[in-house]
Amino acid sequence: MTSRPELRRQYDLIESFQPALHVAQNWNYENSGPLYRAFMHPPHDVGGQHDVPVYYEEKEEEQWELNTYVTCEVLGWRGVWNSEERRRRADNDLGYTLYLGMPYYGRWIWAAARMMVDKKHISLNELIDKIAEVRSRHEKR
Amino acid sequence: MKKDKVAKSQNGGARARFKVGDRVQVRDMPNIFYTRTQNYVRGVVGTIAECTYRDLIPEDEAFNFDGGLEQYYIVRFRQKDLWEEYPFERDTLQTEFPEHWLEPVGH
Repeated sequence: MTSRPELRRQYDLIESFQPALHVAQNWNYENSGPLYRAFMHPPHDVGGQHDVPVYYEEKEEEQWELNTYVTCEVLGWRGVWNSEERRRRADNDLGYTLYLGMPYYGRWIWAAARMMVDKKHISLNELIDKIAEVRSRHEKR
Repeated sequence: MKKDKVAKSQNGGARARFKVGDRVQVRDMPNIFYTRTQNYVRGVVGTIAECTYRDLIPEDEAFNFDGGLEQYYIVRFRQKDLWEEYPFERDTLQTEFPEHWLEPVGH
Protein backbone atom coordinates (compact mmCIF):
# COMPACT_ATOMS: atom_id res chain seq x y z
CA MET A 1 0.00 0.00 0.00
CA THR A 2 1.11 3.53 -0.66
CA SER A 3 2.09 5.28 2.57
CA ARG A 4 0.13 8.43 3.43
CA PRO A 5 3.18 10.68 2.96
CA GLU A 6 3.80 9.03 -0.44
CA LEU A 7 0.17 9.61 -1.31
CA ARG A 8 0.46 13.29 -0.36
CA ARG A 9 3.58 13.66 -2.54
CA GLN A 10 1.70 11.97 -5.38
CA TYR A 11 -1.14 14.48 -5.02
CA ASP A 12 1.36 17.34 -4.97
CA LEU A 13 2.79 16.07 -8.24
CA ILE A 14 -0.65 15.71 -9.83
CA GLU A 15 -1.53 19.23 -8.70
CA SER A 16 1.59 20.54 -10.41
CA PHE A 17 0.08 19.40 -13.73
CA GLN A 18 -2.59 22.09 -13.37
CA PRO A 19 -2.82 24.23 -16.47
CA ALA A 20 -0.51 27.23 -16.43
CA LEU A 21 -3.69 29.32 -16.42
CA HIS A 22 -4.51 28.10 -12.96
CA VAL A 23 -8.02 28.76 -11.69
CA ALA A 24 -9.27 27.94 -8.21
CA GLN A 25 -12.43 26.45 -9.71
CA ASN A 26 -11.77 23.37 -11.83
CA TRP A 27 -15.11 23.45 -13.65
CA ASN A 28 -15.20 26.71 -15.55
CA TYR A 29 -18.72 28.03 -16.15
CA GLU A 30 -17.57 29.72 -19.30
CA ASN A 31 -14.46 29.86 -21.46
CA SER A 32 -13.69 32.83 -23.69
CA GLY A 33 -13.44 32.19 -27.43
CA PRO A 34 -9.62 32.27 -27.51
CA LEU A 35 -9.39 30.03 -24.47
CA TYR A 36 -11.85 27.53 -25.95
CA ARG A 37 -9.87 27.52 -29.19
CA ALA A 38 -6.66 26.93 -27.22
CA PHE A 39 -8.27 24.03 -25.35
CA MET A 40 -9.41 22.45 -28.62
CA HIS A 41 -5.94 22.75 -30.17
CA PRO A 42 -4.58 19.26 -30.96
CA PRO A 43 -1.36 18.62 -29.03
CA HIS A 44 0.59 17.41 -32.07
CA ASP A 45 0.24 20.79 -33.81
CA VAL A 46 3.33 22.31 -32.21
CA GLY A 47 4.24 24.79 -34.95
CA GLY A 48 4.53 28.44 -33.99
CA GLN A 49 4.90 27.96 -30.28
CA HIS A 50 7.89 29.50 -28.58
CA ASP A 51 10.51 27.06 -27.41
CA VAL A 52 14.10 26.93 -26.24
CA PRO A 53 16.95 25.32 -28.19
CA VAL A 54 17.37 21.66 -27.27
CA TYR A 55 20.42 19.46 -27.56
CA TYR A 56 20.17 17.28 -30.65
CA GLU A 57 21.23 13.70 -30.16
CA GLU A 58 20.99 10.41 -32.04
CA LYS A 59 19.30 8.29 -29.41
CA GLU A 60 19.49 4.53 -29.90
CA GLU A 61 16.13 2.78 -29.63
CA GLU A 62 15.71 0.80 -26.44
CA GLN A 63 14.34 -2.74 -26.42
CA TRP A 64 10.95 -1.71 -25.02
CA GLU A 65 10.67 0.88 -27.76
CA LEU A 66 11.35 -1.70 -30.48
CA ASN A 67 8.86 -4.06 -28.81
CA THR A 68 6.29 -1.29 -28.79
CA TYR A 69 6.87 -0.55 -32.45
CA VAL A 70 6.45 -4.20 -33.43
CA THR A 71 3.37 -4.62 -31.24
CA CYS A 72 1.72 -1.62 -32.85
CA GLU A 73 2.60 -2.78 -36.35
CA VAL A 74 1.21 -6.25 -35.68
CA LEU A 75 -2.03 -4.73 -34.38
CA GLY A 76 -2.18 -2.85 -37.68
CA TRP A 77 -1.60 -6.00 -39.76
CA ARG A 78 -4.36 -7.71 -37.80
CA GLY A 79 -6.73 -4.90 -38.70
CA VAL A 80 -7.16 -3.62 -35.15
CA TRP A 81 -6.32 -0.07 -36.18
CA ASN A 82 -4.93 2.03 -39.02
CA SER A 83 -1.93 4.31 -38.80
CA GLU A 84 -3.93 7.51 -38.44
CA GLU A 85 -5.88 6.11 -35.50
CA ARG A 86 -2.74 4.78 -33.94
CA ARG A 87 0.15 7.13 -34.22
CA ARG A 88 -1.77 10.33 -34.51
CA ARG A 89 -5.28 10.46 -33.13
CA ALA A 90 -4.74 8.11 -30.22
CA ASP A 91 -1.55 9.94 -29.25
CA ASN A 92 -3.44 13.23 -29.31
CA ASP A 93 -6.14 11.73 -27.13
CA LEU A 94 -3.58 11.61 -24.32
CA GLY A 95 -4.23 15.32 -23.86
CA TYR A 96 -1.70 18.08 -23.74
CA THR A 97 0.03 17.33 -20.44
CA LEU A 98 0.55 13.63 -21.07
CA TYR A 99 1.33 14.10 -24.76
CA LEU A 100 4.20 16.43 -23.95
CA GLY A 101 5.26 14.49 -20.86
CA MET A 102 5.47 10.92 -22.16
CA PRO A 103 8.29 9.30 -24.15
CA TYR A 104 7.56 8.99 -27.86
CA TYR A 105 6.91 5.25 -27.73
CA GLY A 106 5.22 5.65 -24.36
CA ARG A 107 2.47 7.42 -26.27
CA TRP A 108 2.26 4.55 -28.72
CA ILE A 109 1.93 1.79 -26.14
CA TRP A 110 -0.61 3.82 -24.17
CA ALA A 111 -2.55 4.28 -27.40
CA ALA A 112 -2.33 0.55 -28.18
CA ALA A 113 -3.71 -0.41 -24.78
CA ARG A 114 -6.46 2.20 -25.09
CA MET A 115 -7.45 0.98 -28.54
CA MET A 116 -7.62 -2.65 -27.36
CA VAL A 117 -10.04 -1.61 -24.63
CA ASP A 118 -12.03 0.84 -26.80
CA LYS A 119 -12.56 -1.78 -29.50
CA LYS A 120 -13.48 -4.43 -26.93
CA HIS A 121 -10.60 -6.81 -27.68
CA ILE A 122 -9.88 -6.87 -23.94
CA SER A 123 -11.73 -5.56 -20.91
CA LEU A 124 -10.23 -2.82 -18.81
CA ASN A 125 -10.05 -5.15 -15.81
CA GLU A 126 -8.15 -7.73 -17.87
CA LEU A 127 -5.65 -5.01 -18.67
CA ILE A 128 -5.43 -3.83 -15.06
CA ASP A 129 -4.95 -7.41 -13.80
CA LYS A 130 -2.22 -8.03 -16.39
CA ILE A 131 -0.34 -4.85 -15.51
CA ALA A 132 -0.54 -5.78 -11.81
CA GLU A 133 0.65 -9.32 -12.54
CA VAL A 134 3.61 -8.15 -14.61
CA ARG A 135 4.48 -5.51 -12.06
CA SER A 136 4.52 -8.01 -9.18
CA ARG A 137 6.59 -10.46 -11.24
CA HIS A 138 9.04 -7.67 -11.96
CA GLU A 139 9.23 -6.60 -8.31
CA LYS A 140 10.03 -10.15 -7.15
CA ARG A 141 13.17 -10.28 -9.27
CA MET B 1 -6.14 -2.84 -45.74
CA LYS B 2 -8.83 -0.23 -45.23
CA LYS B 3 -7.80 1.53 -48.39
CA ASP B 4 -8.55 -1.50 -50.55
CA LYS B 5 -12.16 -1.40 -49.42
CA VAL B 6 -12.60 2.24 -50.33
CA ALA B 7 -13.47 2.46 -53.98
CA LYS B 8 -15.77 5.45 -54.01
CA SER B 9 -14.45 8.98 -53.92
CA GLN B 10 -15.89 12.13 -52.41
CA ASN B 11 -16.11 14.05 -55.64
CA GLY B 12 -17.16 11.05 -57.69
CA GLY B 13 -13.74 10.69 -59.29
CA ALA B 14 -13.97 14.21 -60.70
CA ARG B 15 -10.80 15.98 -61.72
CA ALA B 16 -8.77 17.81 -59.13
CA ARG B 17 -10.35 21.15 -58.27
CA PHE B 18 -7.02 23.01 -58.27
CA LYS B 19 -3.96 22.97 -60.49
CA VAL B 20 -0.33 23.93 -59.92
CA GLY B 21 0.01 27.69 -59.61
CA ASP B 22 -3.56 28.31 -58.34
CA ARG B 23 -3.92 30.63 -55.37
CA VAL B 24 -5.79 29.01 -52.49
CA GLN B 25 -6.81 29.97 -48.98
CA VAL B 26 -6.81 27.45 -46.15
CA ARG B 27 -10.21 27.26 -44.50
CA ASP B 28 -10.41 28.27 -40.87
CA MET B 29 -12.63 25.48 -39.59
CA PRO B 30 -13.21 24.76 -35.89
CA ASN B 31 -10.93 22.26 -34.19
CA ILE B 32 -12.55 19.39 -32.41
CA PHE B 33 -11.04 15.99 -31.56
CA TYR B 34 -8.59 15.77 -34.42
CA THR B 35 -7.09 17.40 -37.47
CA ARG B 36 -3.80 17.61 -39.31
CA THR B 37 -4.37 21.11 -40.68
CA GLN B 38 -2.02 23.30 -38.73
CA ASN B 39 -3.31 26.32 -36.86
CA TYR B 40 -0.76 28.69 -38.36
CA VAL B 41 -1.94 28.21 -41.95
CA ARG B 42 -5.64 28.81 -41.29
CA GLY B 43 -6.94 31.66 -43.39
CA VAL B 44 -3.59 32.17 -45.09
CA VAL B 45 -3.29 32.34 -48.89
CA GLY B 46 -0.72 30.18 -50.67
CA THR B 47 0.00 28.67 -54.08
CA ILE B 48 -0.55 25.09 -55.20
CA ALA B 49 2.94 23.65 -55.69
CA GLU B 50 1.94 20.09 -56.53
CA CYS B 51 -1.14 17.89 -56.93
CA THR B 52 0.04 14.83 -55.09
CA TYR B 53 -2.34 11.86 -54.79
CA ARG B 54 -5.79 10.82 -53.70
CA ASP B 55 -6.10 9.36 -50.24
CA LEU B 56 -8.36 9.06 -47.24
CA ILE B 57 -8.69 12.30 -45.29
CA PRO B 58 -7.19 12.47 -41.80
CA GLU B 59 -10.41 13.33 -39.96
CA ASP B 60 -12.04 10.19 -41.40
CA GLU B 61 -9.12 7.82 -41.14
CA ALA B 62 -8.45 8.87 -37.55
CA PHE B 63 -11.77 7.31 -36.58
CA ASN B 64 -11.69 4.51 -39.15
CA PHE B 65 -14.63 6.17 -40.89
CA ASP B 66 -15.23 4.97 -44.44
CA GLY B 67 -15.29 8.39 -46.05
CA GLY B 68 -13.75 7.88 -49.45
CA LEU B 69 -10.74 9.41 -51.15
CA GLU B 70 -9.83 13.02 -51.74
CA GLN B 71 -7.19 14.83 -53.77
CA TYR B 72 -4.17 16.07 -51.80
CA TYR B 73 -2.13 19.17 -52.64
CA ILE B 74 1.19 20.60 -51.55
CA VAL B 75 0.71 24.31 -50.93
CA ARG B 76 3.53 26.84 -50.81
CA PHE B 77 3.30 29.83 -48.48
CA ARG B 78 5.55 32.83 -48.02
CA GLN B 79 7.09 32.56 -44.58
CA LYS B 80 6.33 36.25 -44.10
CA ASP B 81 2.63 35.55 -44.66
CA LEU B 82 2.75 32.96 -41.87
CA TRP B 83 4.94 34.78 -39.36
CA GLU B 84 4.91 38.58 -39.37
CA GLU B 85 8.29 38.74 -37.66
CA TYR B 86 9.97 36.37 -40.15
CA PRO B 87 13.16 38.12 -41.34
CA PHE B 88 13.61 36.88 -44.93
CA GLU B 89 11.36 38.00 -47.77
CA ARG B 90 11.87 35.12 -50.18
CA ASP B 91 11.70 32.09 -47.88
CA THR B 92 8.75 29.75 -48.32
CA LEU B 93 7.17 26.86 -46.46
CA GLN B 94 5.36 23.93 -48.09
CA THR B 95 2.81 21.69 -46.46
CA GLU B 96 0.06 19.38 -47.60
CA PHE B 97 -3.74 19.38 -47.41
CA PRO B 98 -6.68 17.39 -48.69
CA GLU B 99 -8.92 19.35 -51.05
CA HIS B 100 -11.77 20.25 -48.69
CA TRP B 101 -9.43 22.34 -46.53
CA LEU B 102 -8.73 24.70 -49.47
CA GLU B 103 -10.78 27.44 -51.11
CA PRO B 104 -10.07 29.22 -54.39
CA VAL B 105 -8.83 32.81 -54.28
CA GLY B 106 -9.79 35.31 -56.98
CA HIS B 107 -6.99 37.02 -58.89
